[in-house]
Amino acid sequence: MSSPPPVPHSIGEFVQGYEGARTLRAFRCPSCGKVAATWGLACSGCGHRPLEETTLGPRGRIVAGTIVAVAADEFVNDAPYAYVLVELEGGGQVSGWMPNVRSEAEIAPGTRVRFTSSYKPGLQFELDPEGGPDTPVASP
Amino acid sequence: MVGAASSRYGKLAETAREAATKVALDAILDAGLEPRQVDHTFVANCFGLTEHQGHLGPLVNNGLGIPATPSMTIESACSSSSAALHEAFVHVAGGFADVALVVGAERLSHLDTMTATGYFAFGADYPFETRNGATFPSLYATLAGAYRDAYHASPEMFGAVAIKNHANAARNPKAHLQKEITLRTYLDSPLVAAPLRLYDCCPFSDGAAALVVAAREVVARPTREPLVVRASVRAGAVTALQDRPDLLGLPSSRLAGDKAFRQAKLERTDIDFLEVHDCFTIAEVLALEDLGFFPRGSAAREALEGTTARDGRLPVNPSGGLKAKGHPVAATGAGQVVEIFDQFNGRAPGREVPRAEVALAHNVGATGGSCSVHIFGRR
Repeated sequence: MSSPPPVPHSIGEFVQGYEGARTLRAFRCPSCGKVAATWGLACSGCGHRPLEETTLGPRGRIVAGTIVAVAADEFVNDAPYAYVLVELEGGGQVSGWMPNVRSEAEIAPGTRVRFTSSYKPGLQFELDPEGGPDTPVASP
Repeated sequence: MVGAASSRYGKLAETAREAATKVALDAILDAGLEPRQVDHTFVANCFGLTEHQGHLGPLVNNGLGIPATPSMTIESACSSSSAALHEAFVHVAGGFADVALVVGAERLSHLDTMTATGYFAFGADYPFETRNGATFPSLYATLAGAYRDAYHASPEMFGAVAIKNHANAARNPKAHLQKEITLRTYLDSPLVAAPLRLYDCCPFSDGAAALVVAAREVVARPTREPLVVRASVRAGAVTALQDRPDLLGLPSSRLAGDKAFRQAKLERTDIDFLEVHDCFTIAEVLALEDLGFFPRGSAAREALEGTTARDGRLPVNPSGGLKAKGHPVAATGAGQVVEIFDQFNGRAPGREVPRAEVALAHNVGATGGSCSVHIFGRR
């Protein structure tokens, strides 16, 4: 007999959170503690299952990023834009994009950002006016 | 490995199917064999659907006049044909085939840059990376920025990788970009995804490459200097960059490299030259550190100091690499091994690595969700 599936159990449920730009659904591994906002049935860190559901965001800080000058078709009208990895409140990391950002200095590691609503399906960030680069990200 | 052949890389008139079939026959004849002696065919192809053609395996066999021979078509992003080579090796080493044919082929030149950029990004995690704005260069640019910030790497260091590989490709008549570049050319090239410039990036190439793997006892008197497969290893890693513990290397390269050296019972100092996966200059830098040839944070500087040049202490990518020889995605891994085969057989005039006895090929799928490492020696 297989164990009951974890919740949420579809990629669609994960990315639904992007549209509201409030919090993201994510998994926390009860064994190793890894938090991931990517979908799966077991922890990508240690293989444990089932996973527990948690929420992340809406604030975080940039871990790394780039300015994309040559875009694929879904973003071709937005280039140049920033593509960033962000550590969110709650401990997990996600990727997202930021329009109207043209220099790496604007997305230096540590820069505070937050979700913003978007006209596109992907996860969009904006600079967080309430926090400077040195403001620690709160954990739940 | 008893036979090898490659097409020219660049813009080809042939479809992937045509190019694959032609190099397959060339490789079989290079081995002194006939197609009917092939027991199993392993074909790598990623973007055949853009040519309205999947299922290349049986079509290659049909074209070779061996339609009843079993085949499989393998997709593992940019590491597809090294994955095919691994499967061929497993079949031969396990006694399930005496002769196995490996073919990688890709056609990309019918796609415009925007469309090709989109297709390349499908090798990443689509809902969690690509849909959030990732392109293939942007993912490696993220790695390059993290490396630059951690180790204070300069543009001149990344530029040295590009300049070296272009110099090697200028001596390779099958390379896509047979031209040397200067530091000025590199620095003046436009940003694709900061800090990666145009000349940090490999081109979209058409191309095909084929290899013949045979059991030692089947080809008692090979027509060419055979490559002995000392190690054939695959490894994987979590695909999305945001789920990795750090950005200063590719975990699958580390795993595959360590396992390959254990399998081969060799040390890093035994390797005379390497063909490594340099889809971007940062990729070559990370590969050399992940594979254990240089300490963390030092490989970019080694390129600047000439250590990895063709006449350096450790020649890297004498073919020109993906960076300048070209990157016909599903043909790339097999093409790296064709270069090693040609080097060992005196078929790389003008770019030969003298007295080479042991060489390593490293081939990465996308940003390292998959990786192959093969080590070859002489008999």
